[in-house]
Amino acid sequence: MATQTVNTSKQNPTVEDKIQQLRQLYADTPQFARTALEHTLKDLASVASQPRSRMESAGRTGVRQGKVSELTVIAPFAPGGAARLRAVLQARNGNFDDTDRVGTVHDMRFVFLDNDTKLLFATAYDGDWDIYIEDFVAKIPNEMDVLFSCWEGWPGIHSPKVKDWIAKHQIPAEGWYVAHPDLTVAEAGRVKRVGKAVEEFLDKVG
Amino acid sequence: MAMQTLTLPKQDQTVEDKIQQLRQLYADSPMGKAALENSIPALRQQLAGALRYESAGRVGLRQGKVSELTLIFKFVPGGAKRLRGLLQMLQANFSAEKVTTVHDMRFVFLDNDTKLLFATAYDGDSWDSYLDEFATKIPDELDLLFSELEEFPGFRDPSVKDWIAKYQIPAQSWYVAHPDLTVVEAARQKRVNKAVEEFLDKIG
Repeated sequence: MATQTVNTSKQNPTVEDKIQQLRQLYADTPQFARTALEHTLKDLASVASQPRSRMESAGRTGVRQGKVSELTVIAPFAPGGAARLRAVLQARNGNFDDTDRVGTVHDMRFVFLDNDTKLLFATAYDGDWDIYIEDFVAKIPNEMDVLFSCWEGWPGIHSPKVKDWIAKHQIPAEGWYVAHPDLTVAEAGRVKRVGKAVEEFLDKVG
Repeated sequence: MAMQTLTLPKQDQTVEDKIQQLRQLYADSPMGKAALENSIPALRQQLAGALRYESAGRVGLRQGKVSELTLIFKFVPGGAKRLRGLLQMLQANFSAEKVTTVHDMRFVFLDNDTKLLFATAYDGDSWDSYLDEFATKIPDELDLLFSELEEFPGFRDPSVKDWIAKYQIPAQSWYVAHPDLTVVEAARQKRVNKAVEEFLDKIG
């Protein structure tokens, strides 16, 4: 079965090869861009030789760095969908306790594009694409339908086609950076609790 | 003095008012209508909550200490090809590490490689100080990443902030799992945890 693969660069070229290739790509750009390239090549050479954490596939589609993946969907609104979604989002006042319960979402944004004709939904989440979607379906199906029935053609969270629909409208990132690729949402919660306990302990002995 | 420029929902609306209004809006959406009825018990709690986000400054939303910035630009001719080449070389190795305010960032190519979506989650007191820090610390890297976009003035040009504000599209809603955790604070907490583990190993 053909799963979508991430367009990763060749593993073989040396750092010098890569720099040469970049110089060729940027040969036709204005002077300031070529100057910027030359200024940054030294840094690029050091990062290229010591990769911190490679971009890899997040599963069916999208990119992951370490434990954190990206999902970006853009799709047209159904008639009246923009007005409905705006009202739901305003009524929520930014309260997404349901998303807290799912426990795998680092951040998410809803952005209305092109004069309220399209919705951009972009999120950073933990783990593998399929498991992430299944988790939402299992834990907060109604909330998902209230939010995403704003999209033209949304098949419904209980439809067997919902994953195909999302995958079809997802646009995998060409570049993805995460400051703490080792930190899941749950792990960040644990780390905060330990930090708090240490502070309390030090207060007591201090 | 009016500080808040966001379009904020009315705060004096009761939960019942809100539910009524949502029912009217969803009356025409068969699937949404059913889902709304099913989720009203859970929604009630969220509709009663206080406003969670605020303005990030000039443009965008902030929740706690973490803000969102979403930009869509047009590529110059050939720009998508060059930026793709650069991103593939870099993999995830960005100099953004030198600017310790970036939680995450993505580069997404839209509309047949004619546009770039850049979306990031960042820390900071304000939009302005975030961009100032970038322009001061890694201007060359930024010039390289953004040189392929139309009308880009260069990060050393004072007009660069106006250019960014012009192409930023503020989110309608913004969620952060740990709004109290900056990138720097997460790093500190990780160090504390490591120290605790080592300490426990020693006495264990």
